[in-house]
Amino acid sequence: MSPPSPGTRREIAALQAALAAEQAASYGYGIVGAHLTGTRFGAASADCVAHERARDSLTAMIAARGGQPHPAAAAYRMPIRVSTPAQARSVAIALERQVAAAYLGLVALSDPALRRLGADQMRAAAVRSARWGGRPQAFPGLPASSLSGPGQG
Amino acid sequence: MRAEPTRRLVLAGAGSLALAGCKGVTVLGPRPRPGAGVVTLEHAILAEELMIARYRQALAALPPSAGRQHASGKKSAKTKASARDRAVVTAVLAEHSEHLAQLKARLVLPPRLATASPRPSPTPPPAPAGRHRILDELAHAEAAASDRLIGWLPAVPPSLAQLMASIAASEAAHVVQLGFGRLAP
Repeated sequence: MSPPSPGTRREIAALQAALAAEQAASYGYGIVGAHLTGTRFGAASADCVAHERARDSLTAMIAARGGQPHPAAAAYRMPIRVSTPAQARSVAIALERQVAAAYLGLVALSDPALRRLGADQMRAAAVRSARWGGRPQAFPGLPASSLSGPGQG
Repeated sequence: MRAEPTRRLVLAGAGSLALAGCKGVTVLGPRPRPGAGVVTLEHAILAEELMIARYRQALAALPPSAGRQHASGKKSAKTKASARDRAVVTAVLAEHSEHLAQLKARLVLPPRLATASPRPSPTPPPAPAGRHRILDELAHAEAAASDRLIGWLPAVPPSLAQLMASIAASEAAHVVQLGFGRLAP
């Protein structure tokens, strides 16, 4: 089998970045859900399933391009220690923000389908973050360095 | 994942000047046709301006937050809701202004076109009556704007696609901020 073209390698790299974030989110939501009850537990479960599906889909897409999907880590360090429902919600928000940023690379690819996938997933992550009570962000997923400041161009 | 280097979209004037032998530039050619990316960016700017006009109109139509107080000095539930609505609409309006500034920063027009007669500000339809209908209409406009931006992505260069995807995500999140789909406290 011939090695993937530079374009395919770029696609695989962007898919791997998104996969890593989805693997971390799938793990993280297990911890989030363990500290919630009622409708919030239900929301965490639904979000966890969404991330697991995205993870599985990305894994298949990488393999279909001749890449080797990176395996998930055995465990992930959470941004804060979780022992209360409020901390669990904060972790959910942090996970969603990481996911939004991780899909940015797909949006920069020339393949319209991958661009669309990246944008749709950024949007889904921003909505989930808002539903968990995340502080509004004018530019979810974008690093501040990519924005034009006053006097910059 | 890194963001692509920011590039401004210049409406290139290539081909607009016709060279006549060794006499140098003698004839101004036809006005250059903007590329698909430029046209899309202009549409995105116009859509953002329209959204800002909608929010300004909504702010004017929402009930004032400094309402009557009970004899006990406590604010009524209605007054609290009005204050909350106005705070949300003001915050989202500020984010749209940031979106517009970033989109405009990506567009550079050559002087010949930039000094053309200014485009009139877009006029949104009048805001409906009642706070629920006002917020509902804004939420629908946000959802439609988010969809439209994502539909435009194939036509623009990578760094602009990233900015537009991020704005689309922000606009979808505005629907939640406006009170639709928020989890119970």
